[in-house]
Amino acid sequence: MSAANRLSAGQFLAGVRHVAAREVGAAFDGAVAYVYLIAFVVLSNSIFMNEFFLGGRAEMRAFFELMPLLLAFFLPAVTMRLLAEERRQRTLELLLTLPIVPLQAVLGKYAAALVLLLLFMAGSLPVVAMLTALGDPDPGLIVSGYLGLFLLGAMFLAFGLFLSSLSQDQIVAFVTSTLLGFAFVLTGEDRVVAVLDGLWPAAGVGTLLYESFSVAPHYRALVGGAVTLPALLYFGLFSALFLWLCALVLQRQRA
Amino acid sequence: MIDVDHATKDYGPVRAVDDVSFRIAAGEIVGFLGPNGAGKSTLLKMMSTWLAPSAGAIRIDGHDTVKEPLAVRRVLGYLTEHNALYDGMRVDRFLRFCGGARGLSGARLQERLDWVVQACTLGAVLGKRVNQCSKGFRQRIGVASALLHDPKVILLDEPTHGLDPLQVVAFREFIRGLRPGRAVLFSSHILNEVVTISDRVLMINHGRLLADVPVGELHARAKQAGTDVERVILDVVTAAQPAGAAR
Repeated sequence: MSAANRLSAGQFLAGVRHVAAREVGAAFDGAVAYVYLIAFVVLSNSIFMNEFFLGGRAEMRAFFELMPLLLAFFLPAVTMRLLAEERRQRTLELLLTLPIVPLQAVLGKYAAALVLLLLFMAGSLPVVAMLTALGDPDPGLIVSGYLGLFLLGAMFLAFGLFLSSLSQDQIVAFVTSTLLGFAFVLTGEDRVVAVLDGLWPAAGVGTLLYESFSVAPHYRALVGGAVTLPALLYFGLFSALFLWLCALVLQRQRA
Repeated sequence: MIDVDHATKDYGPVRAVDDVSFRIAAGEIVGFLGPNGAGKSTLLKMMSTWLAPSAGAIRIDGHDTVKEPLAVRRVLGYLTEHNALYDGMRVDRFLRFCGGARGLSGARLQERLDWVVQACTLGAVLGKRVNQCSKGFRQRIGVASALLHDPKVILLDEPTHGLDPLQVVAFREFIRGLRPGRAVLFSSHILNEVVTISDRVLMINHGRLLADVPVGELHARAKQAGTDVERVILDVVTAAQPAGAAR
């Protein structure tokens, strides 16, 4: 590779930062990001408050347990436009003929989506403050729960971004991402596992999906305070795989 | 600076560009002429690294567009076919984004921004969103983003599309001013425009390069035949039309 074609680590990161800054700006230029944020925070906190007053325990387990289904619905709304909209508006050609590589574009957009995820998560901090004021919650459980929530959201964003790269229709990207998200979540539900196992007992499809595909065992481990290597690897590798596939899609469009 | 060597592009069974070769040196302004669907934009997309040729090779400033796409993009200013811009962004932020992505920062970025804003007369719309700008301004924003990093090679796909007659005249002068040290290739389907601005004219149809003629020669032929340059261009295209080209 010639020197003129090389990309130093600094240049790589600068490109990622430029794309991310543009995306964050674009998200908050209109009302959409604010609407998502407010809707998510109101919905998640109000559902939790109901559980909290019924259970009367100063812990966040109920909050973290309702998150997978909520994120499976809300995060595709964040990722659906990231690349599908670029295709539809033909700005992808503008972006990818700038001196950046597809992976920089993908990571920049992913970083911007992570910023939104962190804001979603920050919306629940009043809950932490309330629990601390009312009782004596285990801070270790709260931290590992938030870690699980972040890793889960990061994985959902990664496959949402990948599915957004395959289409120029935001609705298609949203629906496919939501369905995949629900598949990752619902394959961890006991009743779904039992039904799938019952369909073909010899194959044990439900158990197989639960153990190898579902987010449930890894997410539950983190929410339960066990920061295990398999859980970190599961979320890390799935996220990396989808981001790599997304960059590959952008690379391949040149052919 | 631009070296297109037997470039071919197939979209499935359809051959959009068919074995095209030409060179453009620094200091040359070359017009790319052909009807809609002739293959002009596909060729420009290949030169910009957006598409890879199915066969043949393209080198920009000595860099292969497939093997060294980053090196190509660094020396290239490219106005895309539909001049797609980030509609929701403010014009100044859009230009800063393009400059930043091209590695410009600090005083150098400000210096280049000041230059393109003045050269493309964008002062009045800098604080507006792109989607609030007229078609003419949008076109100038696209040109400004292509020239922001002072590129050695400039590719402009239908740059005068959407400009009013006065803006077209100003644009011609502007393009001529870019000539020193740069290779400029722009596409158009307007004969007069290409002849007025260019040193050479490349005529393309059905994906094939039909003629590569200096504008001076076109004028000489027109004078000799007692006709106008546009008639000569049409004659050249007709004479060069390959048998069975109409697909």
